[in-house]
Amino acid sequence: MARDDIVVGLEIGTSKICVVVAEDQDDGTIKILGVGQVPSRGIRKGEIVDFDTAQRCLHDALVDAEQKSDIEIDNVYVGITGSHIQSINSRGVVMVPQEKGEIDEDDLASVKASAIDVSIPAENAFLHQILQHYYIDDREGVLNPVGIFGTKLEADFHVIHGIRNRINNTLRCVKELPLAVNDYVLNGLASAQVVLDQEQKHLGALVLDIGGGTTDYILYCDGAVRQSGVLAVGGDHITNDISMLLKIPMARAERLKVEEGSVVLGRSIPGERVLLKDETGFAGREIEREKLNTIIHMRMKETFEILLQRLASDPKFEMIGAGIHITGGCSLLKGIDDLASDVFGMEATLTHAHTMAGITSAFQNPQYSTAIGLVKYAQAVRSESPSPGLLSKIFNPLLNIFRRN
Amino acid sequence: MIEINRSRPAAPFVPLTCKIVGVGGAGCSIIDRLLIEGVEPSELIAVNTDLQALSSSVAAQKIQLGHSLTHGLGAGGDPEVGMAAAQDALPELRSAVEGSQIVFLAAGLGGGTGSGSGPFMAHAAREAGAVVIAVVTLPFGFEGRRRKEQAVAALDHLRQLCHAVICFENDRMAELVAPKTGIQQAFVAADETMSECIRGILAILARPGIMKVGIDDLLTVLRSDDPRCLFGHGESDGDNRAHEALAHALRNPLMERGKLLESTGNLLVHISGSNNLTLAEVEILMTELNRHIADETHLLLGTSIEPRLGSKLAVTLISSLGSPYPAIHQVETPRAVELVPEVTAAAEPAAETGEEADLPEDVPEPEPVLARRSRPAPIAPIARNVRSAPAPEPKPTPVPEKTKEVKQEVLQFEPVSRGRFEKSEPTIIEGHDLDVPTVLRKGFRV
Repeated sequence: MARDDIVVGLEIGTSKICVVVAEDQDDGTIKILGVGQVPSRGIRKGEIVDFDTAQRCLHDALVDAEQKSDIEIDNVYVGITGSHIQSINSRGVVMVPQEKGEIDEDDLASVKASAIDVSIPAENAFLHQILQHYYIDDREGVLNPVGIFGTKLEADFHVIHGIRNRINNTLRCVKELPLAVNDYVLNGLASAQVVLDQEQKHLGALVLDIGGGTTDYILYCDGAVRQSGVLAVGGDHITNDISMLLKIPMARAERLKVEEGSVVLGRSIPGERVLLKDETGFAGREIEREKLNTIIHMRMKETFEILLQRLASDPKFEMIGAGIHITGGCSLLKGIDDLASDVFGMEATLTHAHTMAGITSAFQNPQYSTAIGLVKYAQAVRSESPSPGLLSKIFNPLLNIFRRN
Repeated sequence: MIEINRSRPAAPFVPLTCKIVGVGGAGCSIIDRLLIEGVEPSELIAVNTDLQALSSSVAAQKIQLGHSLTHGLGAGGDPEVGMAAAQDALPELRSAVEGSQIVFLAAGLGGGTGSGSGPFMAHAAREAGAVVIAVVTLPFGFEGRRRKEQAVAALDHLRQLCHAVICFENDRMAELVAPKTGIQQAFVAADETMSECIRGILAILARPGIMKVGIDDLLTVLRSDDPRCLFGHGESDGDNRAHEALAHALRNPLMERGKLLESTGNLLVHISGSNNLTLAEVEILMTELNRHIADETHLLLGTSIEPRLGSKLAVTLISSLGSPYPAIHQVETPRAVELVPEVTAAAEPAAETGEEADLPEDVPEPEPVLARRSRPAPIAPIARNVRSAPAPEPKPTPVPEKTKEVKQEVLQFEPVSRGRFEKSEPTIIEGHDLDVPTVLRKGFRV
């Protein structure tokens, strides 16, 4: 029997599909009940390329999560990523009629409508429209304009959009299982919910979620989302580079990266070699450690430089106070924080989800930041909407039974 | 007894004699646009190889180029044909612009007639003793590299022959129209901007001004090492018309909202209005404009009274990108003088070939254009010399070098594999395929 207080986050990642089942507790905290995970296949750069295979993996991951949490899952929050995701900042303006003077909810709605009225390509759909700041008569720092007197109300919004069909592909894969999709959230935005606390968002922070196929970045300034985006380069690229340049199979390259790889150069003893054990179908060989590290270093350095180039045009980027927070599976690479501080010229820390209760091993692993972030996002959205009344609490499950049949 | 000399003019102002010559398809459509916008038809001359396009032009005076060469067809995108055609008609071109003080040359570079005949027209106008100002466009990026190269070569050539060249990039002008509007409107918008520019300059030079701007000022502003120009024109009749007109002028995409103004060395500002133009308005406008420009920029300010404007105020900004030339005029440099005979020399064999092509026509041979095409050998190297025009004498050596460069870009000797991402959508950022290992792309040996 599905429970009302259960929220499920589903991340369809390039390297793994991850399902986090959590309980939304009465005191507003989240308790993780179980995490289901399977290595994914048929997914490249965060998007499904082989539908049937991906769906099978997704099914396995859900079964895994249901067994571990002992909860039947029927609706999920889905993470979205992909190189097609774009974002823009947009400002809307409305004039409040003189005779009214006081700003009300209608004005907020119309200022939002005017701000998010940005032209996006016809094949694109909006993913998020996030409020940044309100201005009343050019005065900054108004948190809630309702009830304040003013003549001109302005609002800055951060609008995230992506190609509709590519978002729908991911959603269709989930819906066909069948599972209800409560909402879909940009991966980077979800990760930031659990990686950053309120204070860090106010100081300004950059979250880099470096996953298997993509690097999702999101920049917070003054408590609001300032920039966001996806770069379709991730851990997979490092594995591919190693596999191609050292001429070893992908699986071996992946293991070599995880077990021996580092982005730091010049730390190994000159001529130091890594031994690759022989196993069925693969003759053992030795690889120079510096060579391996150079391949990884060059790739990560380039990735950071591209991100820096994208972000440096923002005048506020220089002024972020809480530094860079790196999460995602790729953040487990040795020395990645040092490289990031070098390239970006500011403090970089490795991080994972905070403020959770439940299975410690789950939330302290940076690989699960996005999936846990989805749960946190869901909880935040739910707490804003009014809780269902007594009647609907009784009737909704009944209705659901009919709906499902 | 006091004698009054009546023959002496009362005012020192002499009306300017000017001709606007449109060369090629794009040039002719600008001529048409100018006529629609009320320029005196007698000032307009359309020059084209394509007889059909020429006959549909509304210009008062039309010159067909190369009637013995292309037989009323266009130049087929080949500047050599345009060159040979103009060479034939040189005396006709010269007599058309005889006696005018200023000649505007409007052309779209990149095609056959504009790129090939444009420089000849400029040469003819110079010989007639006029100040020659070329207003040209560079082709859209999507029109291909060949056209771009032809256009750049022709532009170089024009810069040496004309007193000033104002160059618009079609790619930048495309920003004038919304992405969804038709291609027709995009070209119309380009024509409009160019005709606005020509009319703006004409008005500046022709109107009697309180603070007069002369040809010398204009040439100072346009003299720079980068032919790309900044041009903005705005009109307004509101309460705050000085501010609005300037804002409108800066909104022109060629201005990039005034950002490019910072980098200019010289800027010409022309403000005109009817009798109600006040000093305060000029002051407001200039204070605002000063925010956009660097302190050391040389400002040339002109104002004039134009009763036709009524309650409107118009402001025109003209400048060029890049650092200004040292104040020596290009014409006086020996380089340009030397170039002229070279052009003639370059075009002569082409003309000869044209005649040769004519010969078989007496013996029945219906396609002279094709006949000429079938033997391009003597023309091709000459055309290259003209493109690398600054070199004083023809050098055959750079030719093979150039071909080699092109070949290297086409042939990829080392096909780079993308491994796991072979079949997925490539991640391309700034021309780099990020799926290829960084180490390989940066040419690093491991």
